[in-house]
Amino acid sequence: MSNLLTIKDLHASVEEKNIIKGLNLEVKPGEVHAIMGPNGAGKSTMGYVLSGRDGYSVESGSVTLDGADLLDMETEERARAGLFLAFQYPVEIPGVSNLEFLKAAVDAQREARGEEAVTSAEFLKEAKAACKQVNLPVSFLKRGVNEGFSGGEKKRNELMQMLLLKPKLCILDETDSGLDIDALQVVAEGVNSQRSAERSFIVVTHYQRLLDYIKPDFVHVLSDGKIVKSGDASLAHELEAQGYAWLQTEPAEDELEG
Amino acid sequence: MSEWLESAIARGQENQDWLAPKRAQALDVLANTQWPTRKTEAWRYTPLRAVERSSAKALDRESGLTPVAIPNVSAIELVFVNGQFDVLQSAKTLPTGLTVQLGQDLSAEQQAEALRSFSNIKPERHLFGLVNDALAKDVLLVTVAEGIKIAEPLRISSLLSTGAESHTRVLVRLEKGAQLAVIEDVQSQGDSLSTAFVEYDVAADASLEHYRFALQTGSNLTIGGSHFQLSDKSKMHSTIVGFGSELSRLDTDIIHAGEFADAKLNAMYLLDGKELFDLHATVEHAMPNGTTEENVRGIVADRARAVFNGRIHIHRDAQKTLAELNNRNLLMSNKAEINTKPELEIYADDVRCAHGATIAEIDKQALYYLETRGISKSKAQVMLNFGFINELIDLMPNEALAEWVRPIIRERFAQMEVK
Repeated sequence: MSNLLTIKDLHASVEEKNIIKGLNLEVKPGEVHAIMGPNGAGKSTMGYVLSGRDGYSVESGSVTLDGADLLDMETEERARAGLFLAFQYPVEIPGVSNLEFLKAAVDAQREARGEEAVTSAEFLKEAKAACKQVNLPVSFLKRGVNEGFSGGEKKRNELMQMLLLKPKLCILDETDSGLDIDALQVVAEGVNSQRSAERSFIVVTHYQRLLDYIKPDFVHVLSDGKIVKSGDASLAHELEAQGYAWLQTEPAEDELEG
Repeated sequence: MSEWLESAIARGQENQDWLAPKRAQALDVLANTQWPTRKTEAWRYTPLRAVERSSAKALDRESGLTPVAIPNVSAIELVFVNGQFDVLQSAKTLPTGLTVQLGQDLSAEQQAEALRSFSNIKPERHLFGLVNDALAKDVLLVTVAEGIKIAEPLRISSLLSTGAESHTRVLVRLEKGAQLAVIEDVQSQGDSLSTAFVEYDVAADASLEHYRFALQTGSNLTIGGSHFQLSDKSKMHSTIVGFGSELSRLDTDIIHAGEFADAKLNAMYLLDGKELFDLHATVEHAMPNGTTEENVRGIVADRARAVFNGRIHIHRDAQKTLAELNNRNLLMSNKAEINTKPELEIYADDVRCAHGATIAEIDKQALYYLETRGISKSKAQVMLNFGFINELIDLMPNEALAEWVRPIIRERFAQMEVK
């Protein structure tokens, strides 16, 4: 089976500081990969680089998604090609309603795929169902995007977008941070419901806890911008027991976030 | 003094028509006026080199220029082409109570009367207002008779062909209790220079709805003014939409010359490239109990420059005045520039007067967030930042006009780049 995502010897920097230093990763359709590692390892940076955020520049290496050169695309084109990044800290956008935002995103992606636009009534029905699935009141559709949402509500809103956009590859960036155990279960159930032979996940997390609910096929340890160890789900438990001290690297400055 | 102004004065002196007495006054002042430099407060951020370099010249009325169509707005058209009144393109029949006359067609007695209204409202301090006094030839006089309400808007279009110079002047008088909507619109083909000034005399209980569109961009030099005098209980509601060009300057004056007059002014500007737009808006509260609400909002991209000077002068006798002035700006690039200066001068002690100016930058983080969901950058920036402009479009009393201009403004914004 061919890879959905192939990252080859990726080097990337932020403000002229190298953060990703020779990252290699292959993800096949339907697989769930967990990426763990200490603060400053480059976990969030990886998501930003893959999504094409301004200020994050690729120095060398290649990334393909479904055979297409991901690095050659604009951010919105990457999303339309099936990449979805669930943010650790989703942005609040007062003045743009959640529903307007979701509809614009779905419309843009359908248009790019040459599909017919959904009517507003149809879309509202889908959005309400997605709300229900992630346990958010329907009234959240009318509110400004993430405006005044609690940490858990923001994460569930990210998940709702994923349900509606049906991406091929989801990168969940520390989706567990700031969640209590109930919220964590809701998010995990939402993710698990979306697992399929066509959809892959990269679950970025500091703690093993989330992986009790979302069982990964592979676990990788990211340290100082590259993967230093890979294994199956049991590696996560090892890390939980040992911590990251064995990596013997000085934790770099905090990652640039948000 | 600049060569351009010398030539303008010389051309003004040649003209000996019915306006000669007023023209002579203007020429006198002009002859003693310093050509503005960076030290001239009214022109501090708006250099006039482009005027000095301009090779625009008076051209004959060219056929083939027509006012741009506005769907669902059936206006009473008044058309100038290259500064000359175009009878053929202008409305032939007018509703009862509305009169439109060319100054040169009036009787000597009427001309004497008209002379008294000419430059009566437009203050003398506007340099290009004086130039317009000196060079305007076809002066239009528009009157709405007492108590008459004109349903259709009156549209005054000034059309310029490439390289043309034009000076148009209109005097609008609303008699007691009359109602009228006026659309002022300049459309230029390029390399043009125009001054377009309109004076509005709004009598007691009369109501004026006003629109001014300055949507020509590029190498057009567009200078103009809209000057309003309000009387007891008269009302005005003005909407200005400006795109920048090599030089685009508009002066507005709202004079509360009666009590309980109400003025609303909503202005928006969207500038790109190296464009310049300069709005100087002055409000004079000379009488008590007047209200003014002024909302000025702009988006400035690339290396464009916006200038806004909003002056509210509340005279000693203008007690119980309510005046608000608000200016909001969004900068799209770090080379874009906005020079905003609210000026309040208050000499009465029992008034409410508020002002504010803000400059925001585009929220790149929110933009990125929307893009990661597949929304294009241009659509994302419209979603995030069109709201504050859209609010002013929503306030336009003429809905059909709002629906015409909204997509034009939105499209211009969507094309702007975040830098």
